[in-house]
Amino acid sequence: MSVAVAQYAALSRRSLLTTVRQPRAIIPPILFPLMFMALSSAAFDRTTQLPGFPQSESFLQFLICATIVQGALFASIASGSDMAHDIEEGFFDRLVASPVSRTSILVGRVFGSFVFGFFQAWFYFAVGLLFGLTVEGGLIGMFGVSLVAAMFAAGVASIASAFAIRTGSSEAVLGAFPLLFSLMFISGNFFPRSLMEGWFKTAATINPLTHMVEGMRAQVITGLDLGEWMSAFVIAAGFFVVGITLATMALKRRLAVAA
Amino acid sequence: MEANQGHVVAQGLVRRFGSIEAVAGIDLEVAPGEIFGFLGPNGAGKSTTIRMLTTLLKPTAGRAWVAGHDVVEDPDAVRRSIGVALQDAAIDPLMTGRELLRLQAILHGLPRSTSADRSQFLLEMVGLTAAADRRVGTYSGGMRRRLDLALSLIHEPAVLFLDEPTTGLDPNSRFALWDEIRKLNREGGTTVFLTTQYMEEADELAGRVAIIDEGRIVAEGTPDKLKARVGVPTLQVTIGHGQDAIGAESILMRFGEPAPASPGAIAVRLEGGASGMAAVVRALDEGKVQVEGLELHMPTLDDVFQEATGRRLEGAEPTTEPQPQETTPR
Repeated sequence: MSVAVAQYAALSRRSLLTTVRQPRAIIPPILFPLMFMALSSAAFDRTTQLPGFPQSESFLQFLICATIVQGALFASIASGSDMAHDIEEGFFDRLVASPVSRTSILVGRVFGSFVFGFFQAWFYFAVGLLFGLTVEGGLIGMFGVSLVAAMFAAGVASIASAFAIRTGSSEAVLGAFPLLFSLMFISGNFFPRSLMEGWFKTAATINPLTHMVEGMRAQVITGLDLGEWMSAFVIAAGFFVVGITLATMALKRRLAVAA
Repeated sequence: MEANQGHVVAQGLVRRFGSIEAVAGIDLEVAPGEIFGFLGPNGAGKSTTIRMLTTLLKPTAGRAWVAGHDVVEDPDAVRRSIGVALQDAAIDPLMTGRELLRLQAILHGLPRSTSADRSQFLLEMVGLTAAADRRVGTYSGGMRRRLDLALSLIHEPAVLFLDEPTTGLDPNSRFALWDEIRKLNREGGTTVFLTTQYMEEADELAGRVAIIDEGRIVAEGTPDKLKARVGVPTLQVTIGHGQDAIGAESILMRFGEPAPASPGAIAVRLEGGASGMAAVVRALDEGKVQVEGLELHMPTLDDVFQEATGRRLEGAEPTTEPQPQETTPR
C-alpha cells in the first residue's frame, strides 16, 4: 500500500471513528429521519390511494428514499461540523504541520461520509423491510440507491467542509443547515409532484433533489431502471463536484496563509 | 546526521495581521542540539514566530530555515524534519493514545511495521502504557501534554518545537515534562525550540534564552549571562502608610541605584551585594522610617525582562495576539 493511500485510508477511518464514537452526534441524524418515516407512513398511508399518486404499495415504499437522503444530509452536515471542530481545536494544524498531502485532509473527511452514507442507507432499508417494505428492484436496486445516497453524502460533506474551512466555526456550519433542509422540503421527496399545484410544484420541479429522489424511488417502486438510476447518480455527483470544488478553493485559501 | 539538520535560523522575520505587527523583525540562530527558550508574556509574538517556523503561517517579510530548508520554499522538507507540539494540545479526545500515535505515524509516512514498535517505545518513554488504549478524553492535562510530546517525536525529528509545553500544568506534571525534554535532548541530540511565559521554565531548561516583547527580541543569551547583566540583588522596602516616602527614598539611594518597585514600595539595587542589607535596615531605623516589609530579590530572568521592557513578566498584562486560526484568511 503506497504512503498516500495509507494516509487517505487513515484519515477516512479517523473521520468515521470520530463519527461513530459520538453517540450524541450520530443518533439524532439517524433517528430523526426514521421517526419521520414511521409517523408519516402511518399518517399518510391512505394518500397512496389518491388519484394521481404514483403507483406504490404503501406510503413507506414511496418515502423510503427520501428518508435515506434526509439521513445522509443530516450525517454529512454533522461531519462538516466535525471538520470545523478540528480547525477550532487545532487538530487541523497537526495535519497541516505534518508532510501529509493537503488534499487528503479533505478527501479523508469526504470519503468517510461516503462510507457512512452507504451503510446508513442499508440501515434504513433494513428497518423498512422489518415493517413490510417491498423493494421491486431487489438487492441490486437497494445497492444502487445506497450508492446514490453515498455519493450525495459525500457531496453534502464537501459542501459542509467548504463552509467549515472557510469559516473555521462549527456553529457556522450548523447555521447553514436550514438552507439545505428547506431544499429537502421544497421538493417532491415527501409528497408526489403529481399532486402538487402552483409555485410549490414549480419550485419542486426545479429542485434537483426532487429528480434525484425520484430516480432512486423508481428502483424501489417500479423495479430496476438504469436510466432513472443514472439521472439520480449524476445529480448526486453534481452536488459532489460543486462541493469538492468549493472545498478545495476554501482549503487553498486557508493554506495560503501557511507556507 | 547532516551538519545543518538541527539548525534553526531566522532573518528579519516579520508577520503582520492587518495593521497589527505581531512579529516585528526577528533574527535568531539555534545551534543543533541546543535547547532554546523563547520567553515572553502572552501576546509577545511567541506563537506567531513558532507558527512561521513550523510552516503553519507565511511570514510577511524575512526568511527562515529549519534543518537547512527554507520554510517558504520547501515547507514539506521542513515538515519532515520537525516535531511540533502546539499550545492547545491538539488531540482528538475521541481517539485513544495508541490510535493517535499510529495515525501520526501514517501522516509521516512511516511503514506499518515500524509504527507499532515506535508507538510502543514512545508510550513507554512518556509513561502512558497503561492509558494507551483509553480515549484521550479521559486523560489529565499532564497526560495529554506527554502524549502530545510523544506524537511530535514519532518520526524522530531533528528539531522539536514546543509551544508553551507546560502552561496550565500542576508543578509535578511540569517537572516530569521537563525531565522528558532534557532526556530527549541529552540522549537523542534533538534540538528543542520552546516558547514559554514562565521564566523559571526558561531558566531551568534552556541553554540559551531569547526574551521577546511586542514582536521583538529584547535580550538574548545564556540565563546566567542575562542575569549577570542585571547584576546585583535588589532590595524592596515597603514603608508604612503616611510615612515620608521621599525621605526613605533618599536614605535608600545611598546604597545603590533605584530599581522599579511594586506600588507603595521603594527598591534599590544593592551594589554591595546581599550582605549590604543590614546596613540599609540600620540606616532606615536611624532615619525613623517605619518599615512594613523587606524583600530581597536575587536577579531572575524576570528582572532581565523588566530591565529591557520596564514591565514585569509574571502577571504582565496580556495584550491580544491575533490567533491566525481564528481569523478568516484574506
